[in-house]
Amino acid sequence: MSEPPPTRKLTIIAKDPGLRLGPGGPMAFVEVSVPAEILAKGPTGYRIKVVDYNATERRTYLDQQEYQAGDGMLVDPFAPLPGETREDPAYQKRLLADPNFHAQNTYAIAMRTLGAFERALGRRVSWSSGGHQLHIAPHAFAQANAFYSEPDRALMFGYFFRQDGQPVFTCLSHDIVAHETAHALLDGLRSRFSEPSGPDQAAFHEGFADIVALLSIFSLKPVVAAAIGEDSRFVDADRTIRLVAVGKLTADAIRNSILLGVAREVGEALETGQRGALRRSVELTPEAAHLLHGEVEEHARGEILVAAMMNAFVELWSERIAELGRFAGDSYNLDAVVEEGAKLAGHLLNMAIRALDYCPPTDLDFGQYLSALLTADRELVPEDEWGYRTVIRTMFERYGIRPQGATCDAEGCWQRYPADGRLTYARSNYQAMTRSRDELFRFLWENRETLGLSPRAYSEVISIDPASRIGPDGIALHETVCQYVQRADLFGAEFKAVLGTERPEGMRSSDRYTAYGGGVVILDQYGRVKYHIANRLEDAERQLARAQYMVDTGQIGAPAAPDRLRFAALHQQRMGA
Amino acid sequence: MPAAPETATIYAYQVGFGDCILVRFAYAGGALRHMLIDFGTTGLPEHAEKTQMLQVAQDIQGKVREGDPDRRLDVLVATHRHADHISGFATRDGVGSGDVIRALDPRFIVQPWTEAPEAPLDWEGPDASVTGQALRQRRASLQAMEDAAGTLVAFADAQAGHLPKALAEQLRFIGQDNLSNRSAIDNLRTMPGEKRYAYHGCDLGLASALPGMDVHVLGPPTLRQTDTIRKQRSSDPDEFWQLAPKRLNDALAIGDEGKLLFPNARHRLRSKPLLEHRWLQDRIDAANTEMLVGLVRALDAQMNNTSVILLLKAGSKTLLFPGDAQIENWAYALQSDMASLLDDVDLYKVGHHGSRNATPRSMWRRFTKKSDRSGPGRLTSVLSTKHGKHGSEDRKTEVPRRTLVTELDAQSNLYSTEALEPDALYQEVVLDLR
Repeated sequence: MSEPPPTRKLTIIAKDPGLRLGPGGPMAFVEVSVPAEILAKGPTGYRIKVVDYNATERRTYLDQQEYQAGDGMLVDPFAPLPGETREDPAYQKRLLADPNFHAQNTYAIAMRTLGAFERALGRRVSWSSGGHQLHIAPHAFAQANAFYSEPDRALMFGYFFRQDGQPVFTCLSHDIVAHETAHALLDGLRSRFSEPSGPDQAAFHEGFADIVALLSIFSLKPVVAAAIGEDSRFVDADRTIRLVAVGKLTADAIRNSILLGVAREVGEALETGQRGALRRSVELTPEAAHLLHGEVEEHARGEILVAAMMNAFVELWSERIAELGRFAGDSYNLDAVVEEGAKLAGHLLNMAIRALDYCPPTDLDFGQYLSALLTADRELVPEDEWGYRTVIRTMFERYGIRPQGATCDAEGCWQRYPADGRLTYARSNYQAMTRSRDELFRFLWENRETLGLSPRAYSEVISIDPASRIGPDGIALHETVCQYVQRADLFGAEFKAVLGTERPEGMRSSDRYTAYGGGVVILDQYGRVKYHIANRLEDAERQLARAQYMVDTGQIGAPAAPDRLRFAALHQQRMGA
Repeated sequence: MPAAPETATIYAYQVGFGDCILVRFAYAGGALRHMLIDFGTTGLPEHAEKTQMLQVAQDIQGKVREGDPDRRLDVLVATHRHADHISGFATRDGVGSGDVIRALDPRFIVQPWTEAPEAPLDWEGPDASVTGQALRQRRASLQAMEDAAGTLVAFADAQAGHLPKALAEQLRFIGQDNLSNRSAIDNLRTMPGEKRYAYHGCDLGLASALPGMDVHVLGPPTLRQTDTIRKQRSSDPDEFWQLAPKRLNDALAIGDEGKLLFPNARHRLRSKPLLEHRWLQDRIDAANTEMLVGLVRALDAQMNNTSVILLLKAGSKTLLFPGDAQIENWAYALQSDMASLLDDVDLYKVGHHGSRNATPRSMWRRFTKKSDRSGPGRLTSVLSTKHGKHGSEDRKTEVPRRTLVTELDAQSNLYSTEALEPDALYQEVVLDLR
């Protein structure tokens, strides 16, 4: 028996069934790589367990597939049969009609999304629900919704019927599966981001999940090639070179046609435009974004972040394309263009995910995420040769997102923590600090005054994670990322005494209110504090802004949204209900 | 302008979970005018007799004709078509409660614009070019909720064993409230009085019926008005409304063998689950129901948001009758020029039986006459409700909402039908309008 390879290939539907390879062409099915493992029925692996129960039909579809051959070789049960291709109509029809293929599709996309996080962060990433295996229900109910439910440890995908009676499956949309998986991962990395806070924090969850979904699509090269479209081709010796006209690849052209093509999605089939977020984000102009800054609805507000990121992507991609050689003066090699896009999207996705390590754990705003993004990239690539950070900063600024003054340096990155001896390390054991939350807490507590922790609030270290990366000199660096939070439960009457400012208009003295503070401490390879990125509890201005927002949006004393539907793709509240 | 009335007497009838408010305006010289706002219930008090609604109708008749057997009801307002607001208008072979009201020959019948049989030519609401279509679409969506209501009640009954008790009751309640009340609607439609279809800012032309008073319509907004507050929103709720009833029907088709996704796929029925499916199976069922309830609530709220919101300025006082309007209906009024009218409210008929989201904070904050001390000039509030019919305390959605009632009690002279003695037919509040 041969040694099994580190990855296995599985067939998925690229994008969704609405995407066609050329006008009137076949749907796009592609083969992707996921970590190799011996799968049980479901499929069920070490991180995902698919349970194909349908609450509306009150039945579970059984998995009929074999994922391993008798000799231990890993099998893609939905690979084309001999003589078949992925473009054959009969093949495509067979897959779409098989619930087991839908199950495989969700398994593979969720594993790929998990893989992107683990690669970017250089460590295992847990689901926020705490279990090792996340459930996926590909056909959970006949409802036009899909969500990550933490209490159920599950992604549930619904389906609905179009006016013509045809079913539309949310589990076949790459965007929706990746988006919901990203919620599960982000919630695991930054559990406090789902607490009520200012307008940006809730919007961040949505915007970030969309960024992950959009950028991941660029690794599915046939999708991108189809969105660009081939203009001509020629044969050079034994290979065919597909060409695309130069005019189609300016920044404006990419934004207006290609990105839209990629962002087009199941939302259209939803017939309501409710999940048109990706598409709208791409179309969002900086002027329109200014209006959205006043928007409280998180999906809508999250679009600003997506627009800023995707416009940075477009700018950088068009710059890289301009560096490519031209054919006959007015064409590029289509596959080279797609390859550049895939590389760039992969890099930005890495950066977007790595930035999470540099975000304060509570009350995040978009400006802080921008600083985290820039810092994450600078740590990895100190010299900004390609101008990534300049372009990102310019684009974010165009959309009204700026780094925060005092805590950032001239490049918009977080300032490093000064090594001026003001912290006491004497009573802390570095080795223990990287493993024990109690030991780390001891260090924080001893330095509470210097670090600006409130001694009155309840404080807790919520995570310690290793972060490994290759330093600029090619040597592996090992750092440690620790999060702590502080909370103070108070009545409106105590607002000023605890938080240092008058309570907001509309808050009553008897209203209960929880204020949060917290920070990320990044320890370098010597156990010294390299960054301390915090939103302090005793920050009157920030606390007042947050509390005022919560009063204005009725989040004080109001019923909490049911946990299960916290990350629902479609929020009925926004439908005017 | 003719002289304003001198007193207003508000009779808030005991209809349990429902609304029935008769307002009598008395003028110098003894002239009386009467306005009836809603007449419906979905849950009479436990002690009430079956004939309670008829008794209420007869009492209304008695009051309107007091001292003058030929006196007509001046204005009848049906704020929206939920059963708890109109069921009393149903007729029964000439002897039903709706027959008694009909016999009062109302001079004007006020309903929301969504009840207009067709868009009038001089429609000032939505863009004239889309008037007919917009109205038809809106009506189709409301109609579809009524159609779905029957399915919903049947579903709640059929699934009673599978659903948590509170959820099943809630679904049944909302279903019943939305069930088409054909008899009541037909009665309202065919009453001989003049019909007025209300929308934000319109002039109802009631001067002859309510002399010396200003009647302002704060809601519901028309579709075009709604659009202006929605301009920054990124989705189109109207499309959602058109689809939602169909989606509800699809979602309610639980166990329907005729609509299988994969008719030939190998499967296990729910009743015989495999070990590895059990844990999640129950949770998916629960999630399905939770969303179903969400969808149903959203549709139900849509009907509430067609509610007419009336504000009357009579003499020195301002009276506010908001039906069941919830925040989406209120939103337009609150950002309009008419919002300042709310500052002077003296009498507040509490919206939606005391649910939290029908008394928006931004409206409540405007009331300048609320006060934690009793005395002249203090706000009066009138609440018609019944505990335990709607919402849940756990989710802080119970109706009436406890914290709201506490606040009403602390900041106004509160009259609630729940405080009535078992044999009392109404709360009576007299306002001096001079």
